[in-house]
Amino acid sequence: MPVLALCALSATAQDFDSKPAVTIDNEKEDLHFTVGARFMADAAYYHNDFTPMQSGAAITDARIRTSLTYQDWYFYADFGFGGGKFSQKNIFLQYAKEDGKGGRHAVKGGYYNDPAGSMARNTSLGSYHFISRAGASNALGEGRELGLTYKYTNDKFMAYQGVFTENQYNKEEAGFNGIVLAGRYLYRPISDEHQTLAIGGNIRYQHVGGGVREKNVLKKTLNLGQTMETFVDEDEQFVSCSLPWAENVLDAGAEVLYHNEKFFARGEYMYKHVTKKRDSKTLFDASNNNIDTWGTLDAWTAANPLRSNNFHGGYIEAGYMIFGNPYSYDKNEGVLRGLSGRSLEVVGRFNYTGLNDKVEGEYFSAGRNQYYPNGYMEDWPYSSTSVGGGAVRSYTLGLNYSFNKFAQVMLDYTYHHLSKDFLPYDKDFHQVQARLQFVF
Amino acid sequence: MLANHDENLKRTTNIEDVFSDEVPTIRKDFYRSFRNADGSQHFSEEDIDAQYARDKQDFRSNYTLSYYYAELLMLDAGKWFNDGTPEQGRTSFAAKHNGKVVYNNGVPSIQYSDGLYVSALQDQINYAMGKKLNRDSEGRRVLTYKIKDEYKDMTLAEIYKAAKAAVKCDDPSVVGSKAAKYMDFVEYSFGDKNGSTAYVNDEADNGNRPGIYPEFKESWLNPKDIEIRVYNILDEWGWNIITKPETANNPFYVAGKVNVGNTNGKVILQTFSFDALHRAYGVFKGQVPMCYLLWISTPAYATDIAYDTPTGYADFIKYAQDNGAHIIGPAISGAPNNYPEMNNPWQAYMIRKAGMLNHPYSFDSDAQMKKYMGYFVNFWGENPTEFDDLLNVNVLATPYTTFKESSSHPVYMDGFFTNRSEISLHYMIENGFRCNAKLANPFRPGQTYDNSQAPSTVPNADAVLDALGY
Repeated sequence: MPVLALCALSATAQDFDSKPAVTIDNEKEDLHFTVGARFMADAAYYHNDFTPMQSGAAITDARIRTSLTYQDWYFYADFGFGGGKFSQKNIFLQYAKEDGKGGRHAVKGGYYNDPAGSMARNTSLGSYHFISRAGASNALGEGRELGLTYKYTNDKFMAYQGVFTENQYNKEEAGFNGIVLAGRYLYRPISDEHQTLAIGGNIRYQHVGGGVREKNVLKKTLNLGQTMETFVDEDEQFVSCSLPWAENVLDAGAEVLYHNEKFFARGEYMYKHVTKKRDSKTLFDASNNNIDTWGTLDAWTAANPLRSNNFHGGYIEAGYMIFGNPYSYDKNEGVLRGLSGRSLEVVGRFNYTGLNDKVEGEYFSAGRNQYYPNGYMEDWPYSSTSVGGGAVRSYTLGLNYSFNKFAQVMLDYTYHHLSKDFLPYDKDFHQVQARLQFVF
Repeated sequence: MLANHDENLKRTTNIEDVFSDEVPTIRKDFYRSFRNADGSQHFSEEDIDAQYARDKQDFRSNYTLSYYYAELLMLDAGKWFNDGTPEQGRTSFAAKHNGKVVYNNGVPSIQYSDGLYVSALQDQINYAMGKKLNRDSEGRRVLTYKIKDEYKDMTLAEIYKAAKAAVKCDDPSVVGSKAAKYMDFVEYSFGDKNGSTAYVNDEADNGNRPGIYPEFKESWLNPKDIEIRVYNILDEWGWNIITKPETANNPFYVAGKVNVGNTNGKVILQTFSFDALHRAYGVFKGQVPMCYLLWISTPAYATDIAYDTPTGYADFIKYAQDNGAHIIGPAISGAPNNYPEMNNPWQAYMIRKAGMLNHPYSFDSDAQMKKYMGYFVNFWGENPTEFDDLLNVNVLATPYTTFKESSSHPVYMDGFFTNRSEISLHYMIENGFRCNAKLANPFRPGQTYDNSQAPSTVPNADAVLDALGY
């Protein structure tokens, strides 16, 4: 296979979707080695109603990447040092083969993005057209997981599915690191060198495996949250929730993307259903250690109800290229590429993230961060099943300028409107962010 | 209605000495003590045995709700103070004899102890009116009991089933959400009833007429109709300002004597409990002063605030206000209690901003007085604070103040609970908050409040106890 074809094949499969600048080729052994790096520094100014956010500047990403290609085999590793500490990024081995009918088959194993994690999460941040991905994709989508996938792509279709575990190190205090089945499927009714229309969906099932042992019972908790679409202050208190006794998670999403040479628009809808399970009998038995016992398991269960939760969110974003190289689409990854070469674009986005799942008529006390099922505060109320993680609507306008294929600056203004019971005085957020980015 | 400081009676009475952790063994004799007009036993032995079995089933050791008041009157509720604070103890605080059952020709009757008792609400009202307990020649209080008329023809088994919730005396539409305990079938002779007198004039009465401040304790210690019961008892004794209001401008001092008991401030309710606050609002409709008390713990206990952030604090103020409270009672820090600090200047400011009174607890030292009366931040008037717009006061000098013309500084409360009245009174007098004819009213700018009638001397606490006969 020609070397250039191999490079093109491999470049689409890694976390950065830009072509590495430094390559070392050993034609005799058919070995091709690349090394690259990425750096992002952000500055942000926040102005919001009540709870302060920390304006300032920060190195938000610093990475070194490397890859090795040998015939149909491709190894990629990417190491993050943002925030002054090491973090595990993509590391995987892939075997890919074209079938001669326009199709491509790829088997990949390692630690990389969950196919159903959302279109946004499968798009490299370095290629994103906003400083942050849409909040909903961070709150409801998934990132990297340890697993094995098979992907088929051709001009019209992409079918990408696999099996994963939720924790790459299996470091749970109790239980095991769970199991995930995930798939993303795209159909591209328009797909040529100038424009693409892709519509698709994804579905993901997770059996939550790990947790802590509490009163001799395995307690598994799912945490959902997002920052305010920023990396300088990564506080998730405004939009986040904790879901104890999580058992299974079903994610479903839909996506659409269109671009031509001067314009792109894309959007996603994400839905998450979380089921619960608890060893109530053991917990009830453990509660029977004093005169205040509930007496019967039924009484205890009525006082400590458990139910499934549902959350949803989505975004729509668009961009217009004022000048520069045309927008392009990576059909192997099913994502829009970033800017390439000197260019200037203007972008806009609306995002909605909903982490509220409340029972109507309940009273919420911000002084106790507690919902009261009977509509008023009580000394020993039944537990509430309400979740008040917050709902946020975010509106972003941005301007991106790329000096060349390596260096880029970005400027975003975002207005958030938050609705969260625990933070009743935090309604309106204004933020201006800028980024300097360098990738090779 | 009983005065019950703790959750149970173990610390403040000798209940563990008088009764075991089980249903009092004298319980059956208590039931036998009810007699018919001809002297015969009212309840049958079979009925009593069956009731005793039910009593055991319902019993919670050492919790007030599991005892008849006649049984509680067998306890010594004063000796614990001598044991806990021997340097302040007095022989008279402890009973000479605990209560017991006595038999007269085989007929049992309850003989009360001869010391200090677990008080009833009626007792507190009568003390405030200058009365004292009527005691017999042996020093035991005189308080007879009988079966209420509505239950007089029932067996104990029938009474057990017939228990019903209290009904608000002047509004039958307000009924307790749950039946009171069956133990309510007994009527005690508070006042002049059944040929006996529970209270007599106190020869040591010095003419002061204070008010009372009943607290609704943790909700699980009380029947769910307790707020209605309090309402009715206050009404019965003419102390319910809703059914019998005092003249609006009655002074708090008359001829140098406390006169609160003859004003609409005669009863101030208080509670930590969400349930009690909510239910009390349904009964009292916010027409009797209510103090909502604040406490914080980690993890937060059932009735505590969990987040004393401005948002959390404001949330509790709002909830209290929405449920008929007029006063917030935050805890204060400092030795010797070292309670959590819940009355920082910004918190006092929020309470005032909400239009509520701030009545923190509990003061035990001169240092605490100076801190919360603003002395530490005042720096002799040289140190304005960001809270001065609402909390600053300008106090004119009196003949008793330590300053000559006026003193201006923020004050982080409107009143306070004190355990050391002599320290508090001295401070108030010397700093112009007592014995002042022109004390600025913080809630009505331009108006003043006159408490110049208040005594300017502080009696010695031991001398007061001596004068009262302890």
